[in-house]
Amino acid sequence: MNSGTAKLQRTIFIASFIVPTLLFFGVFTIYPTLQALYYSFFDWSGMSQHKEFIGLDNFVNLFKDPIIWRAIGNDYFLVLGKIIGIMILATFFAVALTRFNFKLASFFRSTFFIPNIISVVVIGVLWNFIYNPQIGFLNSFLSLFTKEQVTITWLGFQHHTIWMLLPPAIWAGIGFYMLLLIAAIQNIPESYYEAASLEGSSQWHQFWTITLPLIWEQMKVSILNIMMTTLNGSFVIVWIMTEGGPDNTTQVMGSYLYQMAFRQYHFGFASAIGVLILVLSLVTTVILQRLMRQETVELG
Amino acid sequence: MISKKKIATMGLAALMLTLPLAACGSNNETTNNKPANNAANSGGTNTDTATNTNNANTGGETTDAGTKLTGDFEIQYFVGGYGDAWWKKVIADFQAANPDLKIKAMGGAKINEQNKPRWIAGNPPDFVYIDGPELNDRQLVEDGQLEDLTGWLETATNVDGDKILDILAQAPQQYDGKVYNIPLVLNSWGIFWDKALFAEKGWTEPTDYQSFLDVSAKIKDAGITPFIHTGKYPYYINGAFLFPAIVSANNNDYTVLQDMAANKVEAYESPAVMTALNKIVELRDKGFIDKGSVQINHTDSQMLFLQHKDAFIANGLWLPNEMSKDVPEGFEFGFIPSLAQDNGGKVVANTSTATVAIAKNAKNKEAAKAFLQFIFSKAQASQWAELSGAPSNIKGDISASNAPSHVKDAAKFLTDANTVVIPTITYNADVDKAMQDASAALAAGTIEPADWVKRVTDAVKKAAQ
Repeated sequence: MNSGTAKLQRTIFIASFIVPTLLFFGVFTIYPTLQALYYSFFDWSGMSQHKEFIGLDNFVNLFKDPIIWRAIGNDYFLVLGKIIGIMILATFFAVALTRFNFKLASFFRSTFFIPNIISVVVIGVLWNFIYNPQIGFLNSFLSLFTKEQVTITWLGFQHHTIWMLLPPAIWAGIGFYMLLLIAAIQNIPESYYEAASLEGSSQWHQFWTITLPLIWEQMKVSILNIMMTTLNGSFVIVWIMTEGGPDNTTQVMGSYLYQMAFRQYHFGFASAIGVLILVLSLVTTVILQRLMRQETVELG
Repeated sequence: MISKKKIATMGLAALMLTLPLAACGSNNETTNNKPANNAANSGGTNTDTATNTNNANTGGETTDAGTKLTGDFEIQYFVGGYGDAWWKKVIADFQAANPDLKIKAMGGAKINEQNKPRWIAGNPPDFVYIDGPELNDRQLVEDGQLEDLTGWLETATNVDGDKILDILAQAPQQYDGKVYNIPLVLNSWGIFWDKALFAEKGWTEPTDYQSFLDVSAKIKDAGITPFIHTGKYPYYINGAFLFPAIVSANNNDYTVLQDMAANKVEAYESPAVMTALNKIVELRDKGFIDKGSVQINHTDSQMLFLQHKDAFIANGLWLPNEMSKDVPEGFEFGFIPSLAQDNGGKVVANTSTATVAIAKNAKNKEAAKAFLQFIFSKAQASQWAELSGAPSNIKGDISASNAPSHVKDAAKFLTDANTVVIPTITYNADVDKAMQDASAALAAGTIEPADWVKRVTDAVKKAAQ
């Protein structure tokens, strides 16, 4: 058999994997993205047969809209809060469950992972009950320590209500990243730690000098992933818990997009928000990757 | 050996290529099974979609003087709180009366989204029931999607020969003097309380603003929060308290609300609006409004009300039906459409409705009009009340029908000569949102009435551009 047919065969074989994926990617990702970009240049209600081309007016109006600035601020607040909260807790749990041999490790591993298999919608509803001012768990718990019944409206502050969405978002995210880091830690040869112990290195020192550098690659991936899923998906938890309220204090870009497209019938404007989310995600990814560029320590 | 391996590899490759395509193919097939629908319509996957085929009923009577309706006739109806029992029944009745018509009913909780591509493509169903999310009558009118019914309605009679306009309890909304949609339901916003609790505690049931304030003070002293509203969806407090209060302060003249809906800035700046807003402030400053209101949704606020954590709730007449499974024993709903009127003043009922319309691009307008004549009849009115649990928008005595008792009471209230009935009004969606945000903030104490007016008039000016 000659090399020509072998090459052709190889090409066909590779294409059989790439072409369907590319097709689906094109139809379900590239096409809608271009479509959104296209609509963002129109004044369109989302229901009308007619669209009016208005150039960049949607973007001009977008940047004049005070709510979008608050939404961007809230989004980045969630990104930052989730990265810090999830990474610290996930790393802590991962180290605790791998480096300290205690009996219930596998039980805790499963327990911490449970929020990940619950739908975000259920998590939102659950935390709504925790935050309920009259029959909620949080107020009932706090009331144990006070004379009078505590009636704090946790989701109804005039400012900074977005802080209240951070705990459920972190709680929901820990499990997955914990597993990722556990896998990374388990890949580190035990001999490194043994050697360090023999040299008299403390657990804390071992964590900083062995564990952390060797799982940095996975942490980087985790941080990028948290950032991207938050910018694109914080919509769900916001929509379930507050719908962007009260008075737009918890609006994020995704929830404002939904509000504009399907509640206030400005589909063109909403598409412009969609384009903004895409651009910000890309820019933030590039910046974060630059910031985290550090020589990867590889296992020798 | 080699060739076998080669065949196997090629076979695998071919399989990988064709599998996803085959999946696509079978999808297309299901979509194509639906006749007359364009490919964008995802109705094929909707289990609620019912297709009424010709059921060959020969006993039916023809609707109009000898005209025989033929061809396809498509009806889009949203299925929500009022259910679909009436729609199924009335469509079957209409089919029986017009055996040659091929009726296709498209109903469901997601039908508004499912049919959206067809409206955008200019291929909408002939007849639409406007209710539920993602379908707004004012927006449909502005988008030029609805048929102008002004001329037709001036003379149109129903199947019994009554003039339709004469038998409607609330008139259709006018957009620049034109009518595009007709209200089908007559429901009302208002304030509820538990009569049993009031009797037990010796509180007087309120009839006007002053008695509302008086009894609220007593309720507060007794350790119960007087008033709760659904702060997550502030249209409840707007519909049940603010809008009736504006009308009361405007000498029972509801045209101020219609001017507001027509984006007239001066209507929002009228003293009546300020008076009404100040009443919310008074309730707020006296500590009558449950502070938890700001964050809770309708189900939670209704549960708190049923559990006697709050004495009054701003809601609508669908509440007893909606919460029927959770109403505690001995609970007795007391209801009044408005509580902002002066002593001796008329009660103001702000109606909540859902309307029906014909698509401008309908292909069978004749059948759609005949269907309008068919559904706006006394027989269908009592059937609606019976099957949907809400009063119909057709005047008439339903006391003899099988409708639930609270529906009969409501109908009596809304047809009383001493009640000012605000006809259905849909505000511009941006302005409506601005009013909701502002009312929630006002009730929570974040802003003052002047801020409310400023915010809303800014939204009005922007929307009017």
